[in-house]
Amino acid sequence: MMVLQAVLVALFIYLGAIGSIVGNTIGWYCLGRPLIASFVTGLIMGDVSTAMAVGVPLQIAYLANVTPGGAVAWDLSYATYVGTFTAIALKNTVTSTEALIGLAFAGAGIGGVIGGTMWNVHYALDVVLNRWAGKIASEGDTKKMWMPNVIGGQAIGFLCRFVPAIIVLLGISAAGEATGGFEIPAWLTTGLTAFGNMMAALGMGIILSFLIKRKVHWAIFMGGFVLATYFGLSSMAIAVVAIVVAVIVYSVIVKKHSDEEVA
Amino acid sequence: MTKQVSKKTLRKSFNNWFFWNGCSQQAESMLGMAFGQAMAPVVEELYETKEDRAKALQRHITLFNTESQVGSVVNGICIGMEEQLANGTGTAEMISETKVALIGPTSAIGDSLWVATIIPLLLTICIAVATSLTSAPWVGAVVYMIVYPVGTYFLSWYLFRLGYKAGLEGISRFMASGKLDKLMSTATILGLIVVGGLTANFVTCTLNIDIKAMQEVFNGTEYVEQLVSVFNLDTLLNNVFPKIVPLALTLVVYRLYTKKRWSPIAIMGLILVLAAVLTAIGYIPNVGAFA
Repeated sequence: MMVLQAVLVALFIYLGAIGSIVGNTIGWYCLGRPLIASFVTGLIMGDVSTAMAVGVPLQIAYLANVTPGGAVAWDLSYATYVGTFTAIALKNTVTSTEALIGLAFAGAGIGGVIGGTMWNVHYALDVVLNRWAGKIASEGDTKKMWMPNVIGGQAIGFLCRFVPAIIVLLGISAAGEATGGFEIPAWLTTGLTAFGNMMAALGMGIILSFLIKRKVHWAIFMGGFVLATYFGLSSMAIAVVAIVVAVIVYSVIVKKHSDEEVA
Repeated sequence: MTKQVSKKTLRKSFNNWFFWNGCSQQAESMLGMAFGQAMAPVVEELYETKEDRAKALQRHITLFNTESQVGSVVNGICIGMEEQLANGTGTAEMISETKVALIGPTSAIGDSLWVATIIPLLLTICIAVATSLTSAPWVGAVVYMIVYPVGTYFLSWYLFRLGYKAGLEGISRFMASGKLDKLMSTATILGLIVVGGLTANFVTCTLNIDIKAMQEVFNGTEYVEQLVSVFNLDTLLNNVFPKIVPLALTLVVYRLYTKKRWSPIAIMGLILVLAAVLTAIGYIPNVGAFA
């Protein structure tokens, strides 16, 4: 059972990677996002509630994970599928949800580094395909132009993604079975909890670097912050307030612009 | 008779691009092979002879890169130019030059507007949905799985057709109109408020300093010597400004990333070390929060 689950999760690690057969919009930018990856892993492992409990913090910590210029130092698809898989496979070794989140981050760290390495291998091997594409193009063969890109790219991509993933996942599930009845000591649980809780700052800090363009933006950010601390609003309530404010601001700047045109 | 690319071929070319743009990314031609694949149906329809087709395919498998979802506008522009060339206007060099010139701007807009703003924004809203529906947090994931791919498909197809119809000049006019900037600054405000809320609700960090001393405590019947907390740093700081420590941690990450150019992995390592140190502080007898 565990083997079949590992195979399925490994398959999704490949599908959620850059350049899989379903395209980057459905793959990397959807199946590869932690919120979705953990949900899919939860469905495969039959434990959606544990999966979502770790998926939300993973998503917050890696919210700012983008890939400028194709340089993938950190492979999000690998990281979060392995992270969620680790949390579910080793669920019985810890007692609190917070420690489970820490465990997921530890798994994600291992997965992310392996994934990043495999991406670089994939990226390097693909260069060979250019010769094949060049040959087809010089023959003017429009019917075969898809082959180097799809067949060649997919064969290399699948090998680089699926094979290492299945080895890692089977290793983790074997560890999960070997640790049956074992409990991680309290101090380590506390440490993992602290790590998991602090990781959210990674996502928030980096996403701020995209959003902050002027000094006044700090005030707007603090506005959202105190809505939570002083007014005790939930994230959903703050999102609604934010939408209302954004709509008002938009109508004001559009009006200001059209006034300037008249004057 | 003037040659024109049929609607069916346009759709086929777009689908080739949308689903397979990243298959064979590499350092030599980046997305070149994928671009060639996307152009193949167009080339087949516009050119009859093997030589013409070969020349057209060869100029489309060369170096090309973009943020491919927003970058579909380049495919549209190139198809429009290729159509003109087949009808005798324009030159092949112009097509290649335009393509290379559009790498920078389309990557920049795609990465900053779509990848770094719209995706995190939609994800934040879905996180908010997931955390408010405590009995069914998976709804947040399902919402994203439907809204993002469907929305992006239509946007990308719209930009593709826009590029084909309006051409390079039409696109430049749109970019100069300033509409995009206004949308961007509105989206930024929305993002800042939501991220502020998420920071307060999700980043947790405690300094774990809780100094205890022996004091006489009345337990209901008599006074006994007991360890009592006399100074809790976290409680004190939170009374000054709630969640000031998580806020400070977030600002440190921001600073390290923007000003000191630390990589996310290095920052992750720092967080791991900090977590270990703060946990260790928590276990110091009479000083730590856990001891």
